[in-house]
Amino acid sequence: MNKKLPIICPSCSSGLKVKSLHCDSCETTITGQFNLPVLLRLEKTELDFVLDFIRCSGSLKIMASKLNLSYPTVRNMLDDLIYKIDKLEQDV
Amino acid sequence: MFKKLTNPFIYVAGSKSLVLGLLTIFGTSIVAYFSKTYFPDIISVKMGVDLSILSSIAQNFINWFVVSILFHLMAMILSKSKIRMLDIFGTQALARFPYFFVSFINFSESLDLFGKYLLWTFMSYGEPIEITIIQKSIAVFLLFISLVFTIWMVMLMYNAFKVSANLKGTKLILSFIIVMIFSMVVLTYLSKILILNIN
Repeated sequence: MNKKLPIICPSCSSGLKVKSLHCDSCETTITGQFNLPVLLRLEKTELDFVLDFIRCSGSLKIMASKLNLSYPTVRNMLDDLIYKIDKLEQDV
Repeated sequence: MFKKLTNPFIYVAGSKSLVLGLLTIFGTSIVAYFSKTYFPDIISVKMGVDLSILSSIAQNFINWFVVSILFHLMAMILSKSKIRMLDIFGTQALARFPYFFVSFINFSESLDLFGKYLLWTFMSYGEPIEITIIQKSIAVFLLFISLVFTIWMVMLMYNAFKVSANLKGTKLILSFIIVMIFSMVVLTYLSKILILNIN
């Protein structure tokens, strides 16, 4: 089963942080308080878009033809994502 | 399907929409010449106007060009995205697609008769006209259809601007209204000059 990483607290809707990390191989557990990286705080569809964009070598034209969308639509999606990433970085 | 009809620009923009749009504008001009339909600005339609074929073509291309250049200037001022002129001009050309259908409406004699009937009945202008209830119904139906196509075209123009300029909310609505009003004012003057010089 592919589990979804929770990024928002189901109780108060605040952003979640990492409290512990565990190594399956040697059973070591590290405890602390770590922020989630910006990319992991994106929605699944947004993260898929980023991955597709990288796979298309950063070409919006290739991206547009792959997604069957127009160039400005894909550019707008990217611009919205840039805006969201900027906002997430400011919130840290 | 509804999304494709009201906002095809999610799927088509750039050079593809420009070519399709320019062909549509040209086709509209030719049909409008034969049906004696005149588009004096971006949304107005006048029936029964005799224009030369050159005026008809020039008028329709000027309508598209003026509104596109104004939308482009507005997008350059307001948008934070890297907008492309090709997208603005292409999507605005394709947005004029509904007027291709409107240009056919005046082929019906009912509209002309109904116009003359209204002029005689309410303004005592022209000659008395005999018009059947069926012809009246057809004329009212055709007027309603042209209104629907006009609303459709404005909706397409709005979505074309929204997609190609990446604007949202109040900024988008206000800038769209400003460009529409300003382009109508500019085109009113340009149309007069065009009619005087080409027709």
